[in-house]
Amino acid sequence: MSRLIEIALGIVTGIGGFLEAGSLATAAQAGSEFRYDLIWAVIVGAVCLAFLVEMSGRLSAISKHTIPDALRERFGIRFFAVALIIMELVMFMVMATELGGVAIALEFASGVSYRWWALPVGFVAWILLWKGTFGLIEKGVSVLGLITLAFVVGAIHLHPPLAEVARGAVPRLPAHDHARYWFLAVSILGASISPYLFAFYSAGAVEDKWDVSHLTINRITAGFGMGFGGIVAIGALILAAIVLHPLDVQVDSFAQLPLLLTSAFGRVGFALFVCSLAIACFGAAQEIALTAAYMLAQGLGWRWSENLPPAEDARFSLAYTILIPLAAVPAAAGVDILKLTNISMVLSAASLPVIVAPLLILMNDRRYVRDYGNGWFSNTVVALITALAFVLAVVSFPLLIKGGG
Amino acid sequence: MLLVHDVLDKQLTDRHGVRMGKADGLVMLQEGDGPPRVVSIEVGSLTLARRLGRRLGRWATALARRWGGKHTESYRIPWTLVRGITLEIAVDVDAEATRVNVVEDWLRVHVVEHLPGGRP
Repeated sequence: MSRLIEIALGIVTGIGGFLEAGSLATAAQAGSEFRYDLIWAVIVGAVCLAFLVEMSGRLSAISKHTIPDALRERFGIRFFAVALIIMELVMFMVMATELGGVAIALEFASGVSYRWWALPVGFVAWILLWKGTFGLIEKGVSVLGLITLAFVVGAIHLHPPLAEVARGAVPRLPAHDHARYWFLAVSILGASISPYLFAFYSAGAVEDKWDVSHLTINRITAGFGMGFGGIVAIGALILAAIVLHPLDVQVDSFAQLPLLLTSAFGRVGFALFVCSLAIACFGAAQEIALTAAYMLAQGLGWRWSENLPPAEDARFSLAYTILIPLAAVPAAAGVDILKLTNISMVLSAASLPVIVAPLLILMNDRRYVRDYGNGWFSNTVVALITALAFVLAVVSFPLLIKGGG
Repeated sequence: MLLVHDVLDKQLTDRHGVRMGKADGLVMLQEGDGPPRVVSIEVGSLTLARRLGRRLGRWATALARRWGGKHTESYRIPWTLVRGITLEIAVDVDAEATRVNVVEDWLRVHVVEHLPGGRP
C-alpha cells in the first residue's frame, strides 16, 4: 500500500512541480504569437526532462551521492567551481523570477503592487524552509500544485482544433518572425529542462533515503510525472492560442495571463489563475532556494539536510537564508518580471551543458551506478540531449538579443 | 590507486559514517632518494582556495589570518588513519572531536541560535 502512495506522490510531484513562472509565461507567449506551432518544443522539453530526471534519481539511489557531490568528486574542484558559479547565478535569476511571480499573483488578488509583496513572500519562503522538512515541502508543493491542472481542463473546455494541435507536435520552420520563433523555442526548452531540477531531484533521492528498490518508482515519477507536467504547459499554450491569438495580443506582461482561465471559467477562472501562479511559483522558489544551498554544501563538503534543524547544518541553512532575501530584491525594486522571466529561461538553457554533459559520463561510471548504468538507448538519448544543450548554449544569447524584445 | 583520480576531492566519512568534508588537498613528503609518499589528507577551505589559484589562495590566507582566530590552517588527517577508499574515503577519526566543523559550530553559536527558531 505504501508503495502505491509513493507512486501516486511521484506522479503528483511531476505534475504539480512542472509549471512555474517560466514554463507558464513562455507557453503563453508561444500560443499567443505562433498558435500551436511550438507545441513540439514543450514535448521535446518534457521528454528530455523525463530522461534526465530518471537518471538523476538513479544515480543518487545507487551511489547515495548527489549530482553536485559527483561533479566535485569525479571532475575535480576546478570544474566544480565553474559549474557552481554558473549554476548559482542561474538559480538566483530563476528564483528572483519565481518570487516575482508569487508577488504578481498577490497583486492580482489584492490590488497592492507586486513590489510590496516580494520581501514578505521571501520571508514566508524562508520560514517554511527554516522550520519545515524536505517531505513537507516536496509533498505540499506537489499536492497544491495540482491546481495547475485547471489549464488542461480549461483547454479541453474551449474545444481546440485537434488536427492543428497535432500538427503543432511536429517541429517545422516558422512562417514569420524567425528570430522570435526560435527565441521562444529556446525559452520553452530552458523553462522545461531546468538544470537546477536535476540537482534538486538527486538531493531529494538522498534526503528520502532511496536505494535500489526505488528504481521503479523513480522511473514512474520521471516518466508519468514529467509527461503529465508537460501536458499542463501544453494546456496553457493551447489556451493562449485560443484566447490571446485572435485578439492579436502579444504577451508583454503577466497582467494579460488571467485571461487564459477567465475565458474558460469566468470569475472562478481568475481565482484559479491567481492560485495556480502563486502556488507554482512559490513551490519553484522553494525548490531553487534549497538547491542553491544543496549545491554549495554538497560540493564543498558541508553538512546538509533539509530534515535537520538549522543548528545542525548551520552553513547550509544560512546559505538559503542569505540567498532568498537577495533574490527578492529585483521584484521589490520593480524589475519587469516578464522580462526577467525570459532572460532567466534563456540563461537556464545556456547553462544546461554544465550538468547534462557530466551526467552522460557519470551514468556510465560503474563506481557510481554499479550495474545500473545507462544502456545504449539511454546513452543515445542523453548524448542527443547533450548535443542539444550545447546548441542551446551557443544560440541562446544571439537569440535573446534578436528575438527577446 | 591514482591519487588525483581516487583520493582528491572525494567525500570523507568518519568512523561513525558521518560525512566530514571532502579531501580538499594532499600532503606529500619526500625523504631521501625515495619516491614521495602521502602523509595526510587536508580538509579546509584554505587548501581549496590555494588549489583554485595563487591569488585566491593568498587572499584567503590573509583573510583567515585576520578573521579566522586560532584555527586558520586546514585540518590534516594522517594517511595511516585511512581505512578504505571506495566512492568515499573512510577515516578512523571522530569528526566531532576534530576541528573540521569549527566554522559550522561558530555559525551555529553566533548566528543560527540568534535567529527565531534556530535553537533546537
